[in-house]
Amino acid sequence: MQLLSSHGLSQDFIIKATFYFAAGLTLLFALLVVLSRNIFHVAIYLAMTLIGIACVYLYLDAEFLAIVQVLIYVGAIVTLFIFTVMLTADVDTGSMRVMIGRVSVAALVSLATFFILTNVITMTTWNAAAPAQEPVSLAQLGKSLMSQYALPFEVISVLSLAALVGAIVIGKAEKR
Amino acid sequence: MIPQSHFLLLGAALFSIGLFGVFTRRNAIGILMSIELILNAANINLITFSKFSGNPDGTGQIFALFVIAIAAASAVVGLCLVISIYRNSKTILVNKINLMKW
Repeated sequence: MQLLSSHGLSQDFIIKATFYFAAGLTLLFALLVVLSRNIFHVAIYLAMTLIGIACVYLYLDAEFLAIVQVLIYVGAIVTLFIFTVMLTADVDTGSMRVMIGRVSVAALVSLATFFILTNVITMTTWNAAAPAQEPVSLAQLGKSLMSQYALPFEVISVLSLAALVGAIVIGKAEKR
Repeated sequence: MIPQSHFLLLGAALFSIGLFGVFTRRNAIGILMSIELILNAANINLITFSKFSGNPDGTGQIFALFVIAIAAASAVVGLCLVISIYRNSKTILVNKINLMKW
């Protein structure tokens, strides 16, 4: 950092440049997720997108969330997707001609949603002078997870257990 | 300092891309992947508001953790259903699955 600063690049500029690079890369891979024809490539692009989002979390002072994102999403969920793609060898993409009508309607709807959201975000006056506060520490996060949010935490545990049991029951091979 | 609205714009763009994917994918696994994109857009918004709201107890980050847990559970059950459907009808293209369509 000091080396770069000595070449006339301020720290603020470096932060901004790397953030917009990471955000652009994330959006590029997200577009590839929805546009690629090969479902196996889509899984790889999804992993790249999720890593990019973890980088964005770092700019929001959420280091723990970035680590959890990489561990759970990239480590577990994308692996699960890849295994499912391999188990269901159905890469039939169909002809493009029947898709055109649906693609144009979908593009219209999602672009309209994007423009509405963009207008709302740019027209709202956010409190620009946000207080320069300390980032939330991991100890603080754990404390409020165990005290103030103990009940939702337990509900999530029950939900995970239910998902586990349900996955085993649904995925169990039928007896012949 | 990156302004708050740029994070929110990133979230909005990811949400729209995920919405497009849900509408256009014919493969059930592709639809589940697009839903993961939408959930991640929601997470970016939650963490952005956690940072910029001036609330020091990190409520937004905890809610993002809950969203990640629910996304994992939904992905597990959804992929399990996909495998079960594939076992029964040998296809996972959602326009060919019409067993319960009247």
